[in-house]
Formats: sequence, structure tokens, C-alpha cells
Amino acid sequence: MKHTQFICFCLAFLLSAFTTKASAQELYDYDTEIRPLLSQKCFECHNTNMPKANVNLDNYKEKARVVKDGAFWLKVLEQIESRDMPPKSKSPLSDEDYRLLVDGINGILQSSLKEHVPGQIVIRRLSHTEYQYTIKDLTGYDFDARSYFPSDGSGGGGFDNQGGSLFITPLKLERYYDAADLILQGVAENEQLWRNIAPEEYDPSWLTRLTVWVKSLFDDSYSSMTHAQLTAEKTIFPFATKAYRRFLKDDEKARLGTLFAQVYQGMDTLDNPQRFDQSIAQVYKMVLVSPNFLYRTEEEPPNSKAYYLSDFEMASRLSYFLWSSMPDDELFSLAYMGKLQDTLVLEGQVKRMLADPKAKRFAESFSTQWLGINKLLDTQPIVDPEKFPDFDMPLREALYRETVEYFYYVLTDSKNMMELVNSNYTFLNQKLADFYGVEGNFTDEYKKVLLANANRGGVMGMGSVLTVSSLPLRTSPVLRGKYVMEQIMGISPPPPPPEVAELVEDEGAHSELGLRKLLERHRSSPGCFSCHQKMDPLGLGLENFDATGRWRDSYGKADIDASGTLADGREFNGPAELKVLLMDEKEKIARNLATKVLSYALGRGTIFTDEPALRKLETALLENNFNPDPFIVELVKSYPFRMKINDFRDKINEVL
Amino acid sequence: MSKKWQISRRRMLKGVGACMALPFLDAMALPGMSSPVPSKSPLRTAFIVMPNGVHPHHWTPAAVGRGYEFTQQLLPLKHLQDDFLVLGELMNMNSLRTADGHYTKTANLLTSTRIRQTTGDNINSGGVSIDQVIANHVGGDTLFPSLEYGLDRIATGVDINVGLTRLYASSISWKTATQPLTKEIDPKMAFDRLFGRYVPGAKIKNDPWKQSVLDAVLDDAKSLKRNLGRSDQDKLTEYLDSVYSLEKRISDGANQEKFAANLTGDVKKELIRLNQNIEEYAEVRSGVDVTEKTRMMLDIMALAFWSDASRVSTFLFGNSVSNRNFSFLPGVNDGHHSISHHMDDEKKLAQYVKITQWHMEQYAYFIEKLKSMKEGESNVFDNSMVMFSSDLRDGNRHSPRNLPVLLAGRAGGRINPGQNLIYEKETPLANLYVTMLEALNIEKTSFADSTGKLANILA
Repeated sequence: MKHTQFICFCLAFLLSAFTTKASAQELYDYDTEIRPLLSQKCFECHNTNMPKANVNLDNYKEKARVVKDGAFWLKVLEQIESRDMPPKSKSPLSDEDYRLLVDGINGILQSSLKEHVPGQIVIRRLSHTEYQYTIKDLTGYDFDARSYFPSDGSGGGGFDNQGGSLFITPLKLERYYDAADLILQGVAENEQLWRNIAPEEYDPSWLTRLTVWVKSLFDDSYSSMTHAQLTAEKTIFPFATKAYRRFLKDDEKARLGTLFAQVYQGMDTLDNPQRFDQSIAQVYKMVLVSPNFLYRTEEEPPNSKAYYLSDFEMASRLSYFLWSSMPDDELFSLAYMGKLQDTLVLEGQVKRMLADPKAKRFAESFSTQWLGINKLLDTQPIVDPEKFPDFDMPLREALYRETVEYFYYVLTDSKNMMELVNSNYTFLNQKLADFYGVEGNFTDEYKKVLLANANRGGVMGMGSVLTVSSLPLRTSPVLRGKYVMEQIMGISPPPPPPEVAELVEDEGAHSELGLRKLLERHRSSPGCFSCHQKMDPLGLGLENFDATGRWRDSYGKADIDASGTLADGREFNGPAELKVLLMDEKEKIARNLATKVLSYALGRGTIFTDEPALRKLETALLENNFNPDPFIVELVKSYPFRMKINDFRDKINEVL
Repeated sequence: MSKKWQISRRRMLKGVGACMALPFLDAMALPGMSSPVPSKSPLRTAFIVMPNGVHPHHWTPAAVGRGYEFTQQLLPLKHLQDDFLVLGELMNMNSLRTADGHYTKTANLLTSTRIRQTTGDNINSGGVSIDQVIANHVGGDTLFPSLEYGLDRIATGVDINVGLTRLYASSISWKTATQPLTKEIDPKMAFDRLFGRYVPGAKIKNDPWKQSVLDAVLDDAKSLKRNLGRSDQDKLTEYLDSVYSLEKRISDGANQEKFAANLTGDVKKELIRLNQNIEEYAEVRSGVDVTEKTRMMLDIMALAFWSDASRVSTFLFGNSVSNRNFSFLPGVNDGHHSISHHMDDEKKLAQYVKITQWHMEQYAYFIEKLKSMKEGESNVFDNSMVMFSSDLRDGNRHSPRNLPVLLAGRAGGRINPGQNLIYEKETPLANLYVTMLEALNIEKTSFADSTGKLANILA
């Protein structure tokens, strides 16, 4: 069954991969056709000695190397395809050469993807958010993990759930131990919470004690101890099963039972039920410090090919993706019944999970990291406190919340992710309405508000995004332009050439010369022009928003001119018109969302072998009017999400 | 003004309580008399790193040797001229080999290796950092092999411009090439971890089952490890090593007793004072006053050295590219990174100098603190080495040549401070590390790209 499913899956995948781009065959030979042309057109700058922009094409002596660095070559292909390379200063490619390079490189890359490889995902320590929610769902207790644990970095697509950038160090392990202690203390202080995770109240009646005593007379291995332990295991095993997100192994059960017995015996000065409960608490503490809880692990059975994850592993991938937490009972029982390989079941689960309020955790975790606005919650000042005295913590939190509410609405209600770029509504409470100067009746609760002013709708009109893309004392059109390019459209301008300095844009320059003039001067240098003509207009179009996102019409003396021309020649005036133009960039935006969400879901950066899956995801967005449902279903069904391939390096068999 | 009064009143009240809880004799002992006098004082090493470089023209003194004239940026150290070395023309060559920008120069400042270009899936600094090499040699004698402190949370996200995770910008201590150590940034948590249970009146929680719990999770980890693939196994090694290190600390009764025995007299007084400061800070000024927070972290480091909780520490003023707003300094009106791209603009350069001076003031504060800590006939500073550097020379040029390096301390008489030393151009920074290893009597004649030791430093 699995086998046929696998083949069907392969076929479907291959077909889609080959239909998305025209030429899947290798029309040109690398050694005799492609490389000589590259040598003629590109090596002058991109050679081994002085690789311009750190790009050395000369290095790719054989086709195999091109394939190995497929992701990089995809970028090369993009540059050639868009005619950004060779640069305007050099002679352009003839139509014939253009086709040869584009179709040739495309052909090599496409045919290398025939074998779909899911890519490796290293075991992931729970991120602090995941830890917090897992504790909440497991014990009902609210624990502020973000403030308690030392912060983590992020990797891959820029998220904090990427295994490669999550570490355990002696300090962190200590904190996990202390956290487990605090959590169990907190739970124990609340009778109801405690009984939820330890339903057995152990206070054996005189009759039970008598029975146990009699039994122990006839059976040497049985004692009052055994009775307590057996009773405890009825509580401990289900708890640990949930916490480990899979069934327990025999040695794990034995360890849990032994630890209980050891503690219970040592606590002989206490009376039951306290003695019993406190012993259980020690075992639970161990569960919360165990690597089986702290890491999301996927085992590696011997297999030379890619294979599907086990049902329990699938349940965890799903729940951590959409809920930032452990699987609930339904996912758990579907896994138990072996149903999570069925794509129809997966589809149903995605819909159910998105409809669950817990999907808001995905909305928050993904959107705030994608947009880089999570630092609004740090206590460190972002903007200058003297210049922006009312930009206080409550306002920062409110701005953060607005974006989260908005993203959640797009995800679950409006079902059109292009509204992230432009719309006619947002979510406000009293504090934000005052901040933006929107009239109406508000409370502390956030509510959807239709906007009369077309400049605001979408994330680029939000104070959160506008603040994090500014400097502490002022706006920077370059930074904002770069932000829009990178975060919204997913294109990265190359870094500025070394030893080129930033533009002076201090307060004085703003009013005396006008920032626009300064930037124009800046762009007049040919080294800067090619990128800045793309970035700067995007930022200048948002200049009506100050460094915290408040509307302004002038810098003081000089009026703000928010007009501009995009690199492709289209003109706009002001944020509203700019956003309308960006609404046409659907393909770039689809690509960006696909890459970002896949990276978040997998916990690693996207790699070249993900390309066919990414293209399917893009298509899912483009063909369904950016509806997140079919997109997420597609993602969950994709081979990088459902499959795994072994790490073929030698294992360490000596385990100390 | 009135705010100040409230704080000092509270401090006084707390102080009274704390003192009363102390044994009478301890509290009344004269300064310097009751401090522990180890037969031979241990040597301590600290690495203090600031982001974004310095003004390249106002750092290195013109005259070589002793009695040189101070440059603007070094002025806050003027009264300490005999206590430190200015080291010129040291370079971290491997910084140039991965990508441009800051990150590739921060993560490897203490490893002198080439970091791997990655957005985060296979982080690799190229080697163990020098502080950890030292900790591996001397850390076994103390409760904490090393301490890693800083001021800022790790910078999140990936800089897609250079294709690097910002984690590199935030990590200078590497336990292994693939494991950056966690930086502690909260003064209260840092203090409590080391000294919390020794604060008079502290509630000490009895935890008799800690060892059993750790044993059980260790067995879980071993059993798990068998079923994983190689990369996962490598990752899980971090977990196993961390449990071992924690177990070692809690089971080493002799070391704990030795440590507790150090916490008497002046050491204890400092401990109580610091605890009060931190408690107040957490209540009143959390996240506001960066100078005060810096000084508290440095106080904890100093106390850790004095009490022999640890002999090795790193301190990172800010993640690289930090745009900390320094407008609290008179005449400064922008963030650190923005100003560091001064483009030779006089106004910006003047601000750049002021920001560096602020860092020098904190460095001087730490030196003075160590000097005030009596240890037998001398003080902790005389038995320490405190290196200072930034990962760049000039923030405007991102150049890792001629780094702004200082080395304070006497390392128990092994070092000859008080000079301005200028080496040959492009002398490996790692040569300094080799020299420091020799001062510590650690037999290791090479480190990363070192070519030998630096002349004129060792006494």
C-alpha cells in the first residue's frame, strides 16, 4: 500500500515539476556549450581571482558541481533571466545566447531534481515558544519561557524553531531543570491542575492495606511499595506518553517506575497522599528535563532510500507547525490508528487545526518572526526615548498585537494572503486608534476596522513594521526599501561593495537638502545605482510614515515627496499607490511566502532539492487567489514535510 | 533627586537586615583581614569585547614603550597607565575568508578561525575559542569552568544579504566549533546562579532527588542516542555533556565547601552589596540604564573571580552591528552602528569617539573593581589578565587589521604592563592568545593561525 502510494506520489510530483517550467530536458551540453559561453560573458568579473560580489562562476568546472550548488545556480539563472546580468555597462546577451544560457542552466537544474530528496532535519530542541505552549497544553500551567530562558538565535528562513541553531549548554540545562521545578510547584499549588495530570489520589483504605499485606505474605516480590508503584504508573505512563509525543519504550517505563520507587521509599517520613503526590512530582520533573521531551526527535531506521515518517512523528510535525505545541488527543489517536499517511486525513486535519484557536500561535510565531517585529516585546529601547517619549511598552505591545490579529484574520477568515500587502482594514483598540488618529468607539479589545484612508491597509502601513525598518531617531528610505524587497518580495539585494560607506542622513540634511536629493546623489554613482534604483523608491514611497509609523506631511520645513518610479518604470505617488503596484508582484510574493512557510514548518532553511515542492506551493497560492488553506494542505502533503532520508555518515555506536 | 533618596533609604533598610543576619564576627572584621589567603592565588582571565570598532586615528598612541601620551579614546584609562598594554597591528586574518561585514569577524574573534557560511543549518565557528581552551585547563578546579556574559539578547533572524545567521553576531565563546555557549544577560539570574543561596536569609531549597533525576535523564539520553542518525547524535551530545557538567558541580562536595569557605569577610560584604543593587535595579530601572546594567554584570564577573566561582569569563558589550542608542551620552544622537559608518564626517567621528570612551570607562571600572579586591598581599587584578578588543578596527571599513586590542593585568607577575607595543603589520591575533596561554602555564605552543608568541609582554 505504502509502496504504490509512494509511486503515485512520485509521478504526480514529477509531472508537476516538469510542467511548471518549460524545458526539463538538457538541451545544451555544459562542457562544450554552456561553460564556454559563461567564460566569454561572465568570467571577466566572476572569476577565481577577484570574484565580484563574491560570485565565482569559473569555479564550476563540471556539471556535477553546478548541480551540487543548485540553489546558487538558481540565483544565477534568475539574474540572467531577468537580464540583470550581464550589467548594463557590458554588452547585452544576444537572443540566441540568452536562450542558450537560460534553457541550458534550467535544463541541468530541472533534470537533477528527478530524484526527489526530502533533505535532512536535525533533531529540534523545543523553541522557547514551543516549550511554553507544550507546558500549557500538557499541564495547564502558564510559564513565561521567553523571559526565563536565555535567548536563542535563529536560522534557516530566520525562525527560532530551526534545529541547527538551537543549542543546549550547561547553563540552559540548569534552567530547564529549574523551570521544571517551578512548573511542578505551580501546578501542585493548584488542586485542579494537579488532579488533571495526576488523577490517582493515593490514600489506601485499611482494607486495601490489609489486602496488600496479605498478598505480600504469599509473594516475596510484592510489598506495599509495589502497590504504590503500580498505582503511580497508571498516572505516570500516560503523562510521559503525552510529553514524549509517542508510546513509551520498555526501558523508559522501567526508568520511570524505578525513579518513583526510589523517591517514594526515601520520602517515608511523609504521609499519603502527600508522599505519593510528591514522589510523582519528582518523576514528572524528570520527564520535563528528559531529552525525549525537550527535543523533537525522529528516529532513523536503517533505510537507504527516502521514507515516510512514522505516524507519531507526523502528528508532531503537524502540531508544532500549526499549534507550536504537542499533538492533541485527536492527532494522537489518528497516529495510533496509522491514519496520518492518508492525504485525505491530512487535509481534514489541516482544516480542523486552522479552525482551532491554537492556530493563532502559528499566526503569531510566524508573522512576528517573518516581519522581524518580535523585538517590539523586548525591553530594550528601539526608538529614541527622548524623541518618541510616548513609544512605551504598552504601545509596542499593541502594535505587535495589531499585526498578529491581522495575520490571524487573513489566515482564518479573509483567506487571501495578498491582503498582507494591501487591504482596506486593520485591527485596532483604543490605544492604537489614538496612535493612528482613527475616530470611533474603541475599548481595550482589538476589533476589525474599515479604513477610510488607503495608505494604511496591509503590513507596510503598520507601526510595527514601520518601526523595525527605521533607525532609532529617524526613518531610512534605504532600510525600508531593503525591508520591503527582502521581507515582502523575498529578493535580496547584494551587500554594498566593501569600503563603501553609508549615506549621511542626519536631521540637518533632511531639511536643508532634502533626503530625496541626497539619495539621488547617492544613486548617481554607478556602483550604487543598480541596487539602489530598486530599493530606494520603495522606501521613499513610505516616507510619510515617521520612525514609529505615525503619519507626517513634512520633515519640519521641507514637505515630504513620496512619489517615485519603480525600477521597471511604473510610477506612483504615496504609500497607497505604491501598494497597488506591489499587488502586481504576485509571483514574487507567492515564492517568498512558500519559502518562508516551508522553512518554518520544516525547521531548516530551504535547499535546492525542495525546489519542486516550492514550485507546487507557489502554484497553490497563485491558482487559489492566495487562499492559505490549499497552500497549507499542499505543504503538509509535500515530500519535504512527510518524508525523511537517513544521514549516511557512520553512527556513533559507543554511547558513554 | 527624590527618587535617589527613596532608593538609598531602601538600600539602607535592606542593608541593616542583611547585616543583622550575618554572624557578628564576620560582619565586624576589618577589611582585608578576613579575606581568604590562598597559598598561591589562582590566575583569572577575562575577555571583554565591544562591537563596531573604534575611531582609527585616535586609538593607538604615537610613542612606543612606556610613558606614552594618551589618545582621546584611551583617556578614560589614563590613571591606569601602568596597568595595561596597548597592542598594535594585531590582525584576525581568518575574518576575511568567509564574507564581508561584521558577523564573520565576531564569531571568530576568540577562535581565530574561519567560520562556515550558513543561515543556521550547520553553524560552525571553525574551532574552540581561547576562553574555552583556558577553561578546559583551569576550569576543573572551580564550580563554574567559565562564565559567558553580555548585555543583549541574541540577535534573531538571518541576514540574507550575506547569507549568515545573526547568531554569529552574538556568539564569541565556543565550547566546540559547533556549540556556541549561552550568554547570560540578566544580572539577577547571573547573580543568583552563582551566589543566590549565599545571600543572608536566602531560602535554600532542599532538593535531595536532583542527582536521581539527572541520572534518569542521562539514561534516557543514552538510550535515545542509539536510535538516531549521526547529525542527531552529534546534537544530542550537547545535552549529554551539559548533564555531565551539572552533575559534576552538584556532586563535587569538596569544591562546594571550598567555595563556601571563600565567601567570608569582604567577599561576603561585596556579595550582599551587589545583591541589593541588583534587586533594586530589577525593580526600578530594568532595561533603562545600560551603564548600570553593564557595571552590575562586571561586578558579578569580578566577584566570581574573587570568590573563585570561576577563573574564566567573557563579556560582550553588544552583538555586532549593535545599533544601541547612545544618545544618553552628551553630544551623541544616534545608534552605535549608524555612527560607526562615519564616512570620515567630523561630526560623526566625534560621536564615535565618545561611544568608545564610554566602553573604556566600563573597562576601567572593571579593572578598578578587581584592584579593590584584596587577595593576600596583592589583589585580584594582579592575578588576572583582562583582554579588550573589538572585532574591527574602523567600523566604516569593516577591517580586521590592526585591531584595537588591550591587555590589562599582571597575571601573577608574568606580564609586564604599562607599555604601548606595536608589532609588525598583520601579526596574527592568535599570537596574543599563545602568549596568554604561556602566562597561564598552559603548555600549548600554537593556537589557530598563530605563528609564535608576542614579544615584550611576558615578564
